[in-house]
Amino acid sequence: MNNKMLSILFASGNESKLNELTIHRTTASLPFGGRYRLIDFTLSNLVNSGVTRIGIITRSNYSSLMDHIRMGRDWDLNRKNSGIAVFPPFVLNTSRDVYKGKIEAIYTITDFINKSPEDYVIVANCNIAANIDFNAVLENHIESGADITMLCHSGLLTSSRRVVISKNDKNRVTDIFFVESTSQNERLLSLNAYVMKKDKLVVYVENAYARGHVDFEKDILFAEAALGAVNVYEVPGYASIIDDVKMYYTESMKLLNYDTREQLFGADKKIYTKVKDSIPTKYGKSSFVKNSLIADGCTIDGTVENSILFRNVRIKEGAVVRDSIIMEDGEIMEDSTLSYAITDKSVTIKENRQISGFSTYPIVIVKNKVV
Amino acid sequence: MLTKKECVAMLLAGGQGTRLGALTQSVAKPAVPFGGKYRIIDFTLSNTINSGIDTIGVLTQYQPFELNQYIGNGQPWDLDRLNGGAFVLPPYQKAKSGEWYKGTANAIFQNIDFVDRYKAEYVLILSGDHIYRMDYSKMLSYHKSKNADCTIAVLDVSLESASRFGIMNTLNDNSIYEFEEKPKHPKSTKASMGIYIFTWEKLRKYLISDEADKSSHNDFGKNIIPAMLNAKEKLFAYEFEGYWKDVGTISSLWEANMDMLDNDSGLNMNDKDWKIYARNTAEPPHFIGEGAKISNSIITEGCNINGCINNSIIFTGVDVDDGAIVSDSIIMPNAKISAGAVIKHSIVGWNSKAGVDAKIGEEQKAAINGEWKIAVIGPDVVVGDKAVVAAGAMVE
Repeated sequence: MNNKMLSILFASGNESKLNELTIHRTTASLPFGGRYRLIDFTLSNLVNSGVTRIGIITRSNYSSLMDHIRMGRDWDLNRKNSGIAVFPPFVLNTSRDVYKGKIEAIYTITDFINKSPEDYVIVANCNIAANIDFNAVLENHIESGADITMLCHSGLLTSSRRVVISKNDKNRVTDIFFVESTSQNERLLSLNAYVMKKDKLVVYVENAYARGHVDFEKDILFAEAALGAVNVYEVPGYASIIDDVKMYYTESMKLLNYDTREQLFGADKKIYTKVKDSIPTKYGKSSFVKNSLIADGCTIDGTVENSILFRNVRIKEGAVVRDSIIMEDGEIMEDSTLSYAITDKSVTIKENRQISGFSTYPIVIVKNKVV
Repeated sequence: MLTKKECVAMLLAGGQGTRLGALTQSVAKPAVPFGGKYRIIDFTLSNTINSGIDTIGVLTQYQPFELNQYIGNGQPWDLDRLNGGAFVLPPYQKAKSGEWYKGTANAIFQNIDFVDRYKAEYVLILSGDHIYRMDYSKMLSYHKSKNADCTIAVLDVSLESASRFGIMNTLNDNSIYEFEEKPKHPKSTKASMGIYIFTWEKLRKYLISDEADKSSHNDFGKNIIPAMLNAKEKLFAYEFEGYWKDVGTISSLWEANMDMLDNDSGLNMNDKDWKIYARNTAEPPHFIGEGAKISNSIITEGCNINGCINNSIIFTGVDVDDGAIVSDSIIMPNAKISAGAVIKHSIVGWNSKAGVDAKIGEEQKAAINGEWKIAVIGPDVVVGDKAVVAAGAMVE
């Protein structure tokens, strides 16, 4: 199955709902799970599935992404043939504007798609946390005979905006709709990732572009679903889209569960990320740590419970961190207390500070800030 | 034609390391895991690139497979250079002869062509079994400023321990007039660290004449250095200050690991300007469970800790189950410590398993004659449920 698929990834999207967390970065480069960026999951899934030709379409604030990916070596994507191609925002002479939607964006890289020798294409956003075998997806797609296969997962509806799918007993999509309310029933939710024939994508995009359409989902997917041409592939195990602060927090906290970690990081399908050569984490004599996920390079002398610490975080003596996420290079000084907080990269909390959010509304402290 | 390199490093990594017993049954000593996420050789490789030397020959012989695979193309140490980089140099069959490396000097002799190819002016000879952080470029400047033929890095050791080392007796200007291997009555406390810089032209000559001498052990310490001293060549001692440890024995390997826990040991791994690099294993962050209690320890990525850890080094991918106790111990990559197991003053090898309620090692109050009684479980060993392993025992 190797090299049958290429992939087009969208680095941006939903930045508005991630508020403070994406001021300085694309959604793709949002830190997640203690040592990763969101895009690491998709890149690793692709590489583990033998997909090595990957085009990444960026829109804004993509320097953090470029810095993270560099030549793609950490994902074994520094290839002579194929590898990663990053497409900076491309302004069409005809529109004099950065692309408005996925259709325009794909249209601008038609050459890249046409020149690729692969027959199939995976189109996805970079905000999926999952361990996906794309070979299984392709097999399912070919078997189904459908024009498009969309990846889904079953999950609960939260107040976050979600794309819900109804399907028939032949696994064909019968309805797609947006929901923004909570429900206790598990529903089939879209992961905004699609597999189709490369030539098909080019035809879809050229036709839609000619008619001034911009939105891939509304203008192409909905129409194809109405024709019964869209197949559903349900990703087994843990999967989620991270597209707002609340989702970010709840999905992060799910990683404290052993089964979730096994499904996301488990087995031989590893998740790769940029190697930083941090030293191992050092626990001091006064450290007290429970139920927490902790990356390399930390120095812990205080209390940490139900939390996630990224690389090179320092928790000083007497500091207490509960139900929180501390990103890379964070420092929590003596006798400060944090609960339900997300501190972005390089945040310093000085001595004796009390910071507290709520489980449904975690407080976010912006990158490089000193409290 | 290759680009000229001022200094080429040659790393002697062929030693069997017999004193490490079970730990070096299947791997060469430089490939033995160290300090949570490293191998012993990472220190020398990282020192080399951090010193601005980007061409390094790694001479392997004993159990080379693991080491060759670990070094690979040298990328983790930034040694995948277009000109230069890391080269694994095993002994090979030549047109007229083919033989194993007979000694340290013979290993370099057999690779004269390698050094010649880079037209190196100086050769840095290193060994792959020491834990230290050192800027070789300063030593090279010293060598040049002294216009020396050979510079030997020395460490000031205590007079009592001096008889365990190769001792350099020097004049006021640090020129060496005598070399004594493990002297009973040491005249100086300048111990050789096994790190040499030679002016290549000189060394080349001595290697060739040493090879012609059939009675020679072909060893730097036993033959080359004494021969150069006899011929009144210019040999200087370069005084190194800082942490340095030969991890040739179980006790010293254990001690050096424990030094990682001691902020005052001098083994400052936190220096961002002098990082020690290692090949990455792509494991998720480690998880500390509800039942865990951790004090004064190092824990690496990929671990699942639910037991009690005290004064210990826990390597990548280790599981410590509920109720297990690990103290003053080194648990190497991917080992499993089952529920209720008690590990004290021990080294548990990679991929090994301590069964439920197993007891490995005993608490040691102090070293006896400088040696700690450390229990060692070799790699890939299963210690059965409720089994008992005595202090200082070695299980293969």
